[in-house]
Amino acid sequence: MKEVELDCMGEACPIPLVKAQKKLETMDGGDILLVLIDHSCAMKNLPEWARKAGHNVEIEELDDGEWEVVIEKVV
Amino acid sequence: MSEEVKSSGIQRSARRSKRKKRKSQIMKGVLVFLIIVVIGVLLGRISAKLGFFWVTGNAFGFILQKSRFCFTAAMRDPYLTGGTNLTKAVLLAFAMTSLAFFAIKYGAHLKGMPIPGQGFIAPISLATAVGAFMFGIGMVISGGCASGTLMRVGEGFSMQILSLVFFVIGSLLGAYNLGWWKVNFIARGKAIFLPDLFGWIGAIIMQLLIIVLLWIAADKWAQRKEIKTE
Amino acid sequence: MKLTEKVSKNQYYKIWFKDAWPYITGAVLLSLFQIITFATTGNPWGVSGTLAYWGAWLYELLGGSVEKWYYFSRAGVNATLRNGFLSDPGSMRNLGLIAGALFSVLIASGFKFKKIKSWKQVIAAVCGGLLMGYGARIAAGCNIGAFFSGISSLSLSGWVYAVFLFLGAMVGSKLLVKYFM
Repeated sequence: MKEVELDCMGEACPIPLVKAQKKLETMDGGDILLVLIDHSCAMKNLPEWARKAGHNVEIEELDDGEWEVVIEKVV
Repeated sequence: MSEEVKSSGIQRSARRSKRKKRKSQIMKGVLVFLIIVVIGVLLGRISAKLGFFWVTGNAFGFILQKSRFCFTAAMRDPYLTGGTNLTKAVLLAFAMTSLAFFAIKYGAHLKGMPIPGQGFIAPISLATAVGAFMFGIGMVISGGCASGTLMRVGEGFSMQILSLVFFVIGSLLGAYNLGWWKVNFIARGKAIFLPDLFGWIGAIIMQLLIIVLLWIAADKWAQRKEIKTE
Repeated sequence: MKLTEKVSKNQYYKIWFKDAWPYITGAVLLSLFQIITFATTGNPWGVSGTLAYWGAWLYELLGGSVEKWYYFSRAGVNATLRNGFLSDPGSMRNLGLIAGALFSVLIASGFKFKKIKSWKQVIAAVCGGLLMGYGARIAAGCNIGAFFSGISSLSLSGWVYAVFLFLGAMVGSKLLVKYFM
């Protein structure tokens, strides 16, 4: 079980989602991906996609307009 | 669907991203609201129309931001990420507005009055195709169409401020060249109002049918993508 | 700042102002205001036509003249151009949109000024902006005026626009993944 951080601060839609999708493909079940974002639209589409794909998702608000999306990969 | 911030249930290491002490921006929001109201009142004094446009602009901006609505994502995500939630929402909007516009236009027609808003029935020519194609590329790489760019300027994205500046410059270039497009293509194009083609009732039924079929296609597309990624 | 703390814990504040609304809510409300706009002014919503006026006004500030251009010589367009920025309802709506979005993020306590991160973003913004601006002028509108309002108005042009917009978005996606990520 490993933890990977993906810094997408300053990246616009859809880059955070596409990067997270690619990264998750290389990971194993139980691994955790932490995506840092400051794009409010990605804050909605990234968790929505991840939940739909069956992963566990949590969101933490780090600061005004900054979030950490925690995705636990489920195979 | 709402994204609430929960305490962690996922087992993870103690290392965490630093949390800054946060200052609430709510009071600044209230201040901006008051400024919006004052500007609205001032504009309304100059002319009711200016005030009305200002307020509807506020509403569009607020709704777009709050629901993270994005026409760009609606066209881009089916291909890029396989998501079609926004595409379906846009189709719903099309169905609702089609019905209401139909009612207003048909009502005017029945009363023998001029039909409003026919200036938006644009001639179809190569310019439509080329322009829409360029627009499609531009909105995806710059991360927002016209309304989306304005909304993100309000959200504090400097990238979109830059793209707004070049949107304005591009508009000026397009306007400069429009004469050429007009003579060679647009003037030969035909503006087609669907009720002229299929009759009033036929047109609205056709349009709603197409919207429903597209909605089903979008739904199936998302399911197909899901199976593929599993 | 006890009051703001109280407000931020209120459940209705959370639903209405803090959390993102479902897309469907957005679709319904946008449609409502699109319909209100059409019913009241006789014209549907548009965004990018106004941006061409902004370009013309800036160009005139720099000493240029657009008077002889076909685009700005048409009667209605010319009248808006001559009346100026502060008398243009479309400009107020576009500025209003920016203000509405700013209010929306601040009241949710989610505003952050995002700096440009890389040269890639600069190139993407410049190229994307130019393509959209030029494209919107020759295709008679953007996603709002030509696409949303076009289709709502039962115009075949809206559907033609949609097809080529989608093709453009596919090419744009390919470019984005290849060069701008």
